[in-house]
Amino acid sequence: MESPGSARFDALLKRGELIESVSEMTPDYLRELKHTLIVSGDTELISAPAYYLAARKAPSVNAFMTGIAIIQDELAHAHIAYHILEELGESQEALIFKRDPKSFRYPYAFDVPLESWTELVVANAMYDQAGFCLLGDIHEQCSYGPWKRGLVKVMAEENFHLRNGRNWSKRISQAGGAAREELQRAVDWMFPLTVEWFGLPDSLKQHSAQLDYRLKGLTNDQLRQQWLGTVVPFMESIGIKVPAHRDGDGYVLDYPFPCTFDAEQKRWDFNDPCSWDAVMARWRARGPRNAEMVALFQESFSKFQVHA
Amino acid sequence: MNTAVEPLSRRVWSALREIEDPEMPINLVDLGLVYGVEVGERTVRIELTFTAMGCPATEMIMEDIRARLLSEPGIDEVRIDIVWDPPWSSSRLSLEGRETLLAWGLSV
Repeated sequence: MESPGSARFDALLKRGELIESVSEMTPDYLRELKHTLIVSGDTELISAPAYYLAARKAPSVNAFMTGIAIIQDELAHAHIAYHILEELGESQEALIFKRDPKSFRYPYAFDVPLESWTELVVANAMYDQAGFCLLGDIHEQCSYGPWKRGLVKVMAEENFHLRNGRNWSKRISQAGGAAREELQRAVDWMFPLTVEWFGLPDSLKQHSAQLDYRLKGLTNDQLRQQWLGTVVPFMESIGIKVPAHRDGDGYVLDYPFPCTFDAEQKRWDFNDPCSWDAVMARWRARGPRNAEMVALFQESFSKFQVHA
Repeated sequence: MNTAVEPLSRRVWSALREIEDPEMPINLVDLGLVYGVEVGERTVRIELTFTAMGCPATEMIMEDIRARLLSEPGIDEVRIDIVWDPPWSSSRLSLEGRETLLAWGLSV
């Protein structure tokens, strides 16, 4: 089939029309769409083992059920992205089960172990909020029809995760004492990890094919501000300190961005600013839990293959 | 029936109608989770069920009910009794609730 003309395709995008099939796409658009879907699918998928390893520490049967339900949602959301990738010509099996752990494209934050119920609910309040900002933007702006429509229910379910995170964070903060100190410690290392989740600042990112192709609508800094605009007031409302404050219409960070992070100690050094090249190198090397989490869903795959 | 408590009972039902299920865009009454409301002297007893025993939102729903009803004048105590008999099924949805869920993409 003849590849669609680029000028005609650009005009289609500019008119705000939805793309519905591969035959309408330019090769560049297809490549960028696949890349965006892989990041989304990988992020949802890896959150399942990351959350599971912490949900085991749930303080009640009911809380464990809520944790497990959230994990089930995340797997379903991953499935939506991989299913679309399959329709675009990729192999779901190869993407999930036959990739090297280091080649998964999820945010670095998930590589740092969540080790308690407190850390899990902070992840629900902050990581899921980041996912909510990113997916909400895709849901509103995305030029690829099947994905845009698939996200309607994803957004509704993410709301449930946020609520679990916020309810429990509030409850733990109200409990005071050691419980509240543990919550503050979790926020201390997880907050800056989520801030960097949104990627390079706009001043360093000159061009975004995702924006050109309307795969998303907001820039990294706009999304980061949206996240800060929900998380900072919430944490302040429950008496938890965060290293950012409101200034005029937006939020500013109270520490050098980026700076160095010790993943083993889960500790930021706000006195040691670093370059974005150093951050990228840390991301590429992946963090402590990468291989263990990927093994959790890959290890049994080959056992049950029927060989002809 | 004591006419003095009748308005309270009506207020309880309409307050329950304001509470949305945490997972679906439908209120608890239209979803059919409320089996009964009994109003006493400044107390309310609710008979409540869930769509499944494994419902992950039971605590959230009960927290919402307590918070909402305790904000209602004349109520100092809320007791929630969870019942599984008769089991919930989609036939318990109100007509309005059924239309909402259909529009949201659930087959009911």
